[in-house]
Amino acid sequence: MLAVKDLSIIYTGVRPHVPAAMNISFSLAAGESLGIIGESGCGKTTLALGIMGLLHGADIRGSIMFQGRELTTMTSARRRTFRWRNIAMVFQNSLEVFNPVITIGEQLTEPLCTHLGLSPKAAHQRVAELLALTGLDPRWQTGFAHQLSGGMRQRALIAMALGCEPDILIVDEPTTSLDPESRQAILDLIETLQRRLGFAMILISHHLPAVQRLTSRLMTMYAGRAVEYGITAGILRNPLHPYTRGLINAAPDFFPFKDLWGIAGAPPKPGTVEGCAFAPRCCQAGHQCTRQRPELAAVGVERRVACHKGGIETVLQAIGVKKSYRLGERKVPALNGVSLNVRKGEVVALVGPSGSGKSTLAHILVQVVAADAGEVLFCGRPVHKYTATSMMNGIQIVFQDPGEAVSHRFSVLDAVREPLDIMGWQDRPRRDRKAVDALGAMHLPISPDFLSRTCHALSGGQRQRVAVARALVTDPAVLVADEITAMLDPSTQAVMLRELKAQQHERGFSMLFISHDIHLARKIADRVYVLDKGSIIEHGAVFEVLGGSIHRHGRTNYCGHV
Amino acid sequence: MNHRTTRRLLEYCFTVWVIVTLNFALPRVMPGDPFLHLSADEGDEVAAFSRAQQDYYNSQYGLDRPLAEQYAVYLSALFRADLGYSIYYNQGVTAMLLRRLPWTLLLVTVAVAASSVAGCLLGSLSAYCRGRWQDRWLYPVMIAVSEIPAFLLGLVFLFTLAAGLKLFPLSGAMTHFAVYDGVIDKIMDIARHAVLPVLTLTVVRTGGMYLLARNSMTTVLARDYIRTARAKGLHPVRILMRHTLRNAMLPIATRIFLSLGGLVGGAILVENVFAYPGLGRLMRDAVLVHDYPLIQGIFLLITVSVLSANFIADLVYGRLDPRIRETAGVTP
Amino acid sequence: MSCGPAACTLPLPKARPSIRLTSGGRFGLAVLGLVCVLALAAPLVCGHSHRQATGTPLAAPDRHHWMGTDELGVDLWAQVCFGARVSLIVGAGTALMAGFGGAAVGILAGYRGGWTDRLCMRLIDILLVLPDLPVMIVLAAFLGPSVGTIIVVLSAFSWVFTARVVRSRVLSLKQRRYIQASESYGAGVWYLLRRHFLPEIFPLASVGMIRLAGRAIVAEAGLSFLGLGDPTSRSWGMIIHHALGFRGIYYTDYWKWWLLFPWLALTLVVTSLALLGKDLEKAADPRVRTH
Repeated sequence: MLAVKDLSIIYTGVRPHVPAAMNISFSLAAGESLGIIGESGCGKTTLALGIMGLLHGADIRGSIMFQGRELTTMTSARRRTFRWRNIAMVFQNSLEVFNPVITIGEQLTEPLCTHLGLSPKAAHQRVAELLALTGLDPRWQTGFAHQLSGGMRQRALIAMALGCEPDILIVDEPTTSLDPESRQAILDLIETLQRRLGFAMILISHHLPAVQRLTSRLMTMYAGRAVEYGITAGILRNPLHPYTRGLINAAPDFFPFKDLWGIAGAPPKPGTVEGCAFAPRCCQAGHQCTRQRPELAAVGVERRVACHKGGIETVLQAIGVKKSYRLGERKVPALNGVSLNVRKGEVVALVGPSGSGKSTLAHILVQVVAADAGEVLFCGRPVHKYTATSMMNGIQIVFQDPGEAVSHRFSVLDAVREPLDIMGWQDRPRRDRKAVDALGAMHLPISPDFLSRTCHALSGGQRQRVAVARALVTDPAVLVADEITAMLDPSTQAVMLRELKAQQHERGFSMLFISHDIHLARKIADRVYVLDKGSIIEHGAVFEVLGGSIHRHGRTNYCGHV
Repeated sequence: MNHRTTRRLLEYCFTVWVIVTLNFALPRVMPGDPFLHLSADEGDEVAAFSRAQQDYYNSQYGLDRPLAEQYAVYLSALFRADLGYSIYYNQGVTAMLLRRLPWTLLLVTVAVAASSVAGCLLGSLSAYCRGRWQDRWLYPVMIAVSEIPAFLLGLVFLFTLAAGLKLFPLSGAMTHFAVYDGVIDKIMDIARHAVLPVLTLTVVRTGGMYLLARNSMTTVLARDYIRTARAKGLHPVRILMRHTLRNAMLPIATRIFLSLGGLVGGAILVENVFAYPGLGRLMRDAVLVHDYPLIQGIFLLITVSVLSANFIADLVYGRLDPRIRETAGVTP
Repeated sequence: MSCGPAACTLPLPKARPSIRLTSGGRFGLAVLGLVCVLALAAPLVCGHSHRQATGTPLAAPDRHHWMGTDELGVDLWAQVCFGARVSLIVGAGTALMAGFGGAAVGILAGYRGGWTDRLCMRLIDILLVLPDLPVMIVLAAFLGPSVGTIIVVLSAFSWVFTARVVRSRVLSLKQRRYIQASESYGAGVWYLLRRHFLPEIFPLASVGMIRLAGRAIVAEAGLSFLGLGDPTSRSWGMIIHHALGFRGIYYTDYWKWWLLFPWLALTLVVTSLALLGKDLEKAADPRVRTH
């Protein structure tokens, strides 16, 4: 019904010109609904206004076909007849969205008289029906905008948009600045109305639960471009673009227990970045990303991503890993064909009860222990004995016991510098500097006195931090943290994990966080694998597997297992 | 009459009272004697009255009685619309004012109407064509026009259009000793005399109205509700008439009344430029001959009129804006 | 959570009004500078007395009398130069008196609030609705015309503009969190004035003062034009007043120089002040800048 093709909107009223939306394409069938998400200023509302034909001082290229008719080339008078009659919009709620000196009733009747040619009396009758339909007392017709509460105004806006029974409804941020209860009520209302009236809908929202609930397709926009497009449920469960993942991970509705970490950095002004606009904030940006802009390309069924890497890369992968220990004559299976993957920039929790094989898996991943069968891939290449751990930007592990983690005879500086010494990285002064930086990153003192202190003089917490610093000094792509806080007191553990998470957030490395504590996992992880008796019994986004979210999709309660 | 109106009315009454009292007090607290300047020449401060004459006038005007009594007499006279007796012209002040008032009213009302219409039209045009050549030309020109003092502009018109091109009469409101063929002829004569003063006042005020209208329209046009109206596919004329103008008119309507004070000042000067027989001309003559009762009478009339206009502006604003009406306690 | 590391370390945008003059503003500044110089150096730049006849009456401009002479033969160029003094004194005097007085009242009313504020606002309201010219005529009539009186009368009626603007700014400043924070640290009135209020108010008040100066010059010219100015001074308005008092003025060409030059001087100064004021207003008020 609506087909938008290569739509570009460039604001020409300001210098330099702002390309607010570039090369947007999508189509919308009758009754379908499309969600558009993205940070503020990414061009969502511009796109909506462009489709409505409401932009001044903007250069609009590309095509907007509505029921086989091209809207962009129409005369403004012709275009006007389509507005509200066929495509209506529920504007973002504000006090000024209604004319303050005209009654709500009159503002609702206006389009009815204009487009449907209703007599004033018939129009008033209809407005009363509309208000009742949206759950507003028809008496509010004589009221003014400032007399309505935010929720009531939102209902009036919806009633106004539905007056001419449009084919397409564009809804812009319907739930901002509403309290949770009204928010829920408005979502209910939109859902019911869509089912009853059958209009197609474009929903623009920051609020991911609204998008999840109301839309079947989803488009992520960043700096004026679509970066991901696909089925809503699929994207929310398994985002392929790092930006989409960042948005989802920052949504408190999905991760009620996790610490809030937004996407580091701020979006650029549209049109100011040469290559991929997201590259400066991306954890997997390469040379190509800063030079060339990726096009939106299909990467699977009903899924398109604008990323040179074809979406978030998998950095560490285990395929069918098997391991058994000999206990005298008996062969005790520890891992029965475990597969797992860790992608760039994410924190994956591996949880399971003691003896489930978590540590074995961790040790196999870093090749401390050899697997009986199966394969471990690092950046797509099989890992052979220490290849991945003996390199800069490779895999590093931090072990459970701080007492054993570092040699107690080493000075702090020597301990942290050790991997660099061994790898022969650059020269001594630079190694020293890098080691000091790593210590500073973990909030350890960097006074000469502390650096020369021997490790046995450190507390358990300090020693574990030194161990983490030692791992970070090689700028690893993956950090395997094997129960690193199990032996620390809760406060030290909290401090340490926050520092580690901050480092992960800033540097963008991936982390496999192994723990038996699901509360801890919920606090820190984006995805989770549940290991029990040597097998992965469940995996997925934390909000799906470990719950605690209001959206429990196929959730089996892991809490029962521990 | 609601609560807000009552309160505003009381406030204005208070202001009027202050002015009336000031008017009463001024000649009495001023240094020197009000009769010192009487019939003295400009810049010449010699008393032209003998002691006996001064005593006679003092008692005739009641200046030898206690202040409170004088005040009471003064107030009661005011309520009877008795503004005293002009010493120089030997006439009742009220009667003189009533004779002069229509001329000033003519100038002021026509100028207000013309300048409001012109200012609003040009301002709307400018706002609508914002950034285009119409606006780029109008804006600086209007700023300059709005700053030129009325009497300077009047002088320009006087010397170019009247003295130079002889298109209009130099002075007065009607041709002296003219014999008219009929009413239309008379009206034409009056109109010809009024053109230049009215034009001066209009041009001067148009600048201010233009700036206000432009600002107001620009603000309204950028509002969300205008976008809503456009999104609804309403006819542009309806958007302009129903959604834009009404909101933009709010500040303009009030300003029309509020600026009357400034306009009266301009009218006084312009009347003197064109020797137009209105209140301003009379006021100046009265000052030059130190006719205090007359000065006070004119002053009182002008200030009270301006205050009334302000009060009306307040009322109009309250009527037009439902948000104000709301706070006034009238729920629709 | 509400204040992540990024939010805390963000550099606060410094509210520093940059005064960038438009061509109009530069023109205004140049004209005002020139007029100031002429007024100060009037005895030096004028070869003739501004009071005594030095030429034939009603002479046209020539090499000796650049602007011609009036009906007594007094040099007009000298009159215009010395007249600038009167205009500037009236303008500056009123602007300073009304500006500082108004700012003081505004700060007092805004900061103290309560009955002080109510009293000031009542007074301001009354003075605002009074038509100023009639009041000035009446006061000038009663007080007798002199430059000093005119300045005092003008100031008495103009301070309200500054006071009103300053008061509302102080009121809004008082609501700012940083002022409340300073107060909570125990900052006294003088500290707040010095560190917070005055720097914010100064640009506002100076814009206001420029407007006041313009108004005052116009008002003085108007009063003089009506014959109510200081008869001992020879202000521009007075020159116009005398010129118009000359009977044959309408029917001869004398007005060309007798009226034209003081008229030009007045118009130039008033427009210059307005143009400069508009520019400064933009610099002082960021809201205007966006328009």
